[in-house]
Amino acid sequence: MKILIVEDEKELQDNIVSYLANGEFVCETANNFQEAQDKLYGFQYDVVVLDIMLPDGNGLHILQLLKEEAPETGILIISAKNALDDRLKGLDMGADDYLTKPFHLSELNARLKAIFRRRKLQGQTSLQFEEIDIDTNKREVQVAENPVVLTLKEYELLLFFITNKKRVLTKQAIAEHLWGDHVDYLDSFDFVYQHIKNLRKKIMSAGGNNYIHTIYGLGYKFGTNG
Amino acid sequence: MRLISKTTLLYLLLAFIVFSLGGVISLEQFKKAVSQETDYELMGAYFRTKEEVKKGNVDAIVTSKYLEIMPLESNFQYDTTQAFTLRDTNIYLKRTEQVETFRKLIGFVSHGDQHYRVEIIDIFFEDADLKSVVNNITMRLFLFLTIGLIIGSILISKFIFRPFEQILQAIEGFRLSSDEPFKMPPTNTREFQQLNRFLERMTTKARMDYVALKEFSENASHEIQTPIAIAKGKLELLQESSDLQENQLRLIQSAQHSLTKLSKLGQALSLITKIENQEFISANPINLSQIVAHSTQNFSELATLKNIAVEKKIQENVQIKIDPTLADILISNLLKNAVQHNIEGGRIQVQLTSNQLVVENTGKELNQEPEKLFERFQKNQQSSKTLGLGLAIVKKICDLNHMQIHYHYKDRIHSMKVNF
Repeated sequence: MKILIVEDEKELQDNIVSYLANGEFVCETANNFQEAQDKLYGFQYDVVVLDIMLPDGNGLHILQLLKEEAPETGILIISAKNALDDRLKGLDMGADDYLTKPFHLSELNARLKAIFRRRKLQGQTSLQFEEIDIDTNKREVQVAENPVVLTLKEYELLLFFITNKKRVLTKQAIAEHLWGDHVDYLDSFDFVYQHIKNLRKKIMSAGGNNYIHTIYGLGYKFGTNG
Repeated sequence: MRLISKTTLLYLLLAFIVFSLGGVISLEQFKKAVSQETDYELMGAYFRTKEEVKKGNVDAIVTSKYLEIMPLESNFQYDTTQAFTLRDTNIYLKRTEQVETFRKLIGFVSHGDQHYRVEIIDIFFEDADLKSVVNNITMRLFLFLTIGLIIGSILISKFIFRPFEQILQAIEGFRLSSDEPFKMPPTNTREFQQLNRFLERMTTKARMDYVALKEFSENASHEIQTPIAIAKGKLELLQESSDLQENQLRLIQSAQHSLTKLSKLGQALSLITKIENQEFISANPINLSQIVAHSTQNFSELATLKNIAVEKKIQENVQIKIDPTLADILISNLLKNAVQHNIEGGRIQVQLTSNQLVVENTGKELNQEPEKLFERFQKNQQSSKTLGLGLAIVKKICDLNHMQIHYHYKDRIHSMKVNF
């Protein structure tokens, strides 16, 4: 998956590149409006991560350009403005998603993959990890070919784990992914624990292995080995 | 009441007082003039009678109830210089069945040694007639004036006050957040021109302040959130390293928490600034029932995990005028509060009617004054869990939308009432 990161803040750009480069992404970067424009005219990208506050122009113009020149490219807006009209304007103009700074890199990863799944893998709607099969269209999960009934939150949790496999996920990142901004207090971490306990139980009773590994003091990691 | 109706009514009231006074004064003046005239007439009649009597033509004088002449005793003496007196007298009139005041002359005339007493009563004006004439004139004038004033006020409001009405309309349509120029009606009235100039200056200034504060809060938010985003990212990269000890991971976790808190604080403060800057003014009513139902649904899961029962009584299709984002924040904050300050195995009751939203929850008694509940950074416990801005934001939203919020505590139940 080839992505372009348009972000004027060098350090933030580095963060995103270092994090995503661990996975199946090929990252390129643009520091400003001009550079972004040049790269978009020259190359094809699957998804563009776009900061709409750029020093030499409004990122929304790049969005417009992309819609005209490369409508098949996915767009994820990142902004620190959290201004409602910008958010709506961005989504209205055809952005696929919108993230407000600061975001968890794991969240960015999950959202990018979701955009990629929707846009690029139209035919293929199943996700696999070892003996776990997920049909993202029907929202159905099978473990070792046994159907498993998950609650909406458990399903979202499993999807979040699989798109972030082999990465450390903090309880905070998980809680924010599941409940958005509604939970900003420590109580929610007990809820995360509850959901993980249930999810683990359901997968294992359907004949799956335990892939959710606890990292003491921090959170969880999904993978074949801890 | 409209300005023009008020001034017209005031004019009419004044006119009524003036006309009443005028009527009384005219009546007095008329009476005076008439009674003088009457006196002259009576005196004329007296002198004519006196001449006739002097000539000895007493029998030729036609007497009537208005003129009586009576012979007097021969030894009667009278002062020839004061031969008559004039006075008012009350007489009962059969025709009008009323006692009326007449002018009466009593005088003395002589033919040689024979003296006569003459009584003449005026037959010219009756008091009642005079009154009705004056009344009639006054009433008619007042009627004409009333009609004139009403026509005049209609014309004034249609032509002279027209720019004023238009200015009022323009003010009502004025929105801080829109870019539309504030359109003033052209006028050649000096006061309205002054008003126009003043309004133009004020609205331009208000818009400039609004935009400046909006940009400032957005930039401030950007400048705060970007470094937090960088730091959080670095920590996330760090936690990916494989050779970290548990205590090192705890340090990362703790740093993440503080950064998240700082970021939420920045967001909450910028939200308060935006609410105060009136960036969320909505003219369209929204369906509050839907938002309340949806929010309650969202929180019921969190409540269940804390073993809290959620009851809801939501009236269908409650419409109120509020920005949908603010409505969502308002309800979320109230529910969040109700979950957060609840007890294990507690209860939350959400009730929405057409003019009230009540959120009640079980919980321990506050250890601070309830009045401080809606102030910024007031927390029940000095815990690090919360920011202490949730209810301050709720209050701001209520103030902006002219809603009243009340808190009360009874029998271990906290109750938040929002009236709209």
